[in-house]
Amino acid sequence: MNTESAVFVVSWSGEHSIRTNALDKERQLNRFFAEVERRALRIAEIAVRDRDDALDIVQDAMIKLARNYVQRPEKEWTPLFYRILQNGVRDWHRRQAVRNRVMGWFGRSRDDDGDYDAIAQAPDPMGRTPDEELANREAMTGLEAAVGRLPGRQREAFMLRTFEGLDVADTATAMGCSEGSVKTHYSRAIHSLREALGEHWQ
Amino acid sequence: MKMPSDEKQFADKAKQLFDESVEELDAATLSRLNRGRHEALAELERATPMRQWLRWAPAAGVATAAVFAVMLMQQPAIDEAIDVPGAAADFEFLMEGHSLEMFEDLEFYVLMDGLEENGHVG
Repeated sequence: MNTESAVFVVSWSGEHSIRTNALDKERQLNRFFAEVERRALRIAEIAVRDRDDALDIVQDAMIKLARNYVQRPEKEWTPLFYRILQNGVRDWHRRQAVRNRVMGWFGRSRDDDGDYDAIAQAPDPMGRTPDEELANREAMTGLEAAVGRLPGRQREAFMLRTFEGLDVADTATAMGCSEGSVKTHYSRAIHSLREALGEHWQ
Repeated sequence: MKMPSDEKQFADKAKQLFDESVEELDAATLSRLNRGRHEALAELERATPMRQWLRWAPAAGVATAAVFAVMLMQQPAIDEAIDVPGAAADFEFLMEGHSLEMFEDLEFYVLMDGLEENGHVG
């Protein structure tokens, strides 16, 4: 093999390696998003009580993770993704607060629940009886309402720990606080929710 | 974190209800999620060439600095090659407003110049 051929092979293998690495990252990221996106959507939806806005927040979080953190180790993606998502939810609440203040000056308010459809029309895919299905939907509606009434940090801690199943350390990373704070917020959230839902959940 | 059994039971039930609600997401919502995911992955593709260019940025900086260094080292030689005072004198001569007729006898003046240099004149 002459020198030119050797340079070509080295250059080609370097480029091939970069492309393979990029493709691997893309596949990993696609798998990661496919795994978390539906739960992330429901978590955002419970926090903002609007599916369209929740979809925007989730998409924004996916784009920011892809743009800024894809080179980080894959095990860090979950807490980073939820951190971005929670920031999106907080920004949404700030914008809503400002919007409501402005609308308040003009004597108008927005009814967020107007087009919120909690009861899907499709048949139950899990084979439950209509009574069980209805009972579970009512229970979930009650839970969503109660979670929605929690203070922001308690809501975040409860949803990340219970719904997403993050451990204390990852929840702390996602919330940007100490593990001790996570434990405190989570414990308070559980007590508040049990008090609020107790009679319906016995 | 060790959780009391009734709290764990509560959390398990909440998780179960949540998972069911995730399974019940309608096709239109899933389609929008899918679209959002692909837009995010497209962002990854857009970001990659830029990152590859940025990887070469230090090398490009060093190469540019080397080129400038070589140009600076060659600068005195260029200055010497251009006889600035001589060129300026010729320019002044041209600006003095001599008659253009001089250029008609240019061969004569070149001859005179050669004789002057060889010491035959003056």
